[in-house]
Amino acid sequence: MSALDEKFLPPGDLPDLHKPFWAHLRAHSLRLQQCEDGHLRFIPSEQCGKCGSQAWTWEPVSGRGKVYTFTVVHRGPTPAYQAETPYVIAHVELEEGPRMISNLIDCTPAEVRIGMPVEVVFDDVNADWTLYRFKPAGEG
Amino acid sequence: MTGKFGARSAVIAGVHMTRQGDLSDEQPASVYWDVVKRALADAGLTLADIDGLIGPAPEGVGLRASLPGGVMADLLGRPLRFHASTAVGAASIAAGVGLAVMAVEHGMADVVILPTVSAGKGSGYTSSDRGAAIVHMAKLGTPYEWLWGTTRVADHAVIARRHMHEYGTTPGQLAEVAVAQRHSATLHPRSVMGAKGEITIDDVLGSRVIAEPLHLLDSCLVNQGAGCIVVAADDRLDRGRPRVRLLGYGQAHSYLDPCSAPSLTTFSGGLAADTAFGMAGVTRDDIDVVSLSDHFTINVIIGLEDAGFCKKGEGGAFVEGGALRIDGRLPTNTFGGYLSGTHAGQCGAFGLIEMVEQLRGTAGARQVKDARLGYVHGVGGVMQNHFGAILARD
Repeated sequence: MSALDEKFLPPGDLPDLHKPFWAHLRAHSLRLQQCEDGHLRFIPSEQCGKCGSQAWTWEPVSGRGKVYTFTVVHRGPTPAYQAETPYVIAHVELEEGPRMISNLIDCTPAEVRIGMPVEVVFDDVNADWTLYRFKPAGEG
Repeated sequence: MTGKFGARSAVIAGVHMTRQGDLSDEQPASVYWDVVKRALADAGLTLADIDGLIGPAPEGVGLRASLPGGVMADLLGRPLRFHASTAVGAASIAAGVGLAVMAVEHGMADVVILPTVSAGKGSGYTSSDRGAAIVHMAKLGTPYEWLWGTTRVADHAVIARRHMHEYGTTPGQLAEVAVAQRHSATLHPRSVMGAKGEITIDDVLGSRVIAEPLHLLDSCLVNQGAGCIVVAADDRLDRGRPRVRLLGYGQAHSYLDPCSAPSLTTFSGGLAADTAFGMAGVTRDDIDVVSLSDHFTINVIIGLEDAGFCKKGEGGAFVEGGALRIDGRLPTNTFGGYLSGTHAGQCGAFGLIEMVEQLRGTAGARQVKDARLGYVHGVGGVMQNHFGAILARD
């Protein structure tokens, strides 16, 4: 069995400033960095690209958003992903503004549309890591 | 007081493109020196003339990769006067033409080489093992992308999808790019796909889907090969040599993280192009031939829009009807591009090499009639980094 038989996990050497994002996910909470001026951002970074602020807090967000764009992958990067084709990768625009990339699950690829409402789901993939994915938004 | 800074004139004096395809049985360092010598010979120069290098030294052990200037001093038997590199991804070597011209015009070097080599067994994205290269390229981004099973194709597919959504661009319009460039490749003796013959829009749309909406034939090749460009001081060249010059040059660095990109359909290529056109004092309408990075068909449509050859959103319509063919409205990627020509190493070099051939009038069967002014646009990453260059022959 080679490393490529498993799907990728976040690397162990993530910079420290990324770690709260993953720790909150572990508690099934989606939180993004928010600077002093109230700008939310993703992915984790040391400085707000809108105002240059280097101070932030980790603020909970709704996890709801809409599909901004997507693709259906028919040729995955490794055997672990190839076993799951076709799968959907979506860029989701959160209600609060920032975009996040992840898999869109619990729907068939043919159903996916730009603008489709989606919500986050937490996937406890092992004892250490919880990943974020999206699924079509439920009623109400 | 006046100094001599900026007092000389630089010429893009030599180019060479080796055999392209599978060079896995060759030694990278041997290929390196071979392509360098041939590009120098094209300029009427020899190894004895080199005093500047943009980009990598030949592969070897120890610190070769991080200290290329010293390597060249060892192997040439004298100190090198100039080394630099620029980071525009796969277009880095081609983008280095700006630095090379600056170095020569400011007297820091007389003869600068800009080589790219992909040969041998390799590793990472240069690996001759196609599967290993694909895995490496899939993980070029951040975990916030590759955790989900992205590939280089998927990274561009989301851009194509969004462009289709915002502007009504169609898969058939994307296919037009591949069809025109394949036709050009059939006229280039060293193109990878030329021998396979022409393709149709239906061939592209009927090819295997890799990441919707992109098909196999919307995607660049994975191949090896080498190329080299030589920039030299005008006064180091024989009078009779063809002189192609850089009239204008600009860069733009658009974004790195796709979640932070302000748009996934407009990138900062226009900023690079505007700088280059402003410097050259020419307009888009003056351009006879274009080389523009085409990792995927969508890149050409967005690239032409961003560089200002058509309005934003009209790139799909612009490329219809064979507009990019050698005999079309705006001949583009006349060596076949990365789709059908070659996608080896820092492949932007091949777009620049082709432009020099076109402007010299030595492009043979694929010669664009009366090509006097060319625009080269190199892209690094997923539309992340850009350079624009305007070239003309004397």
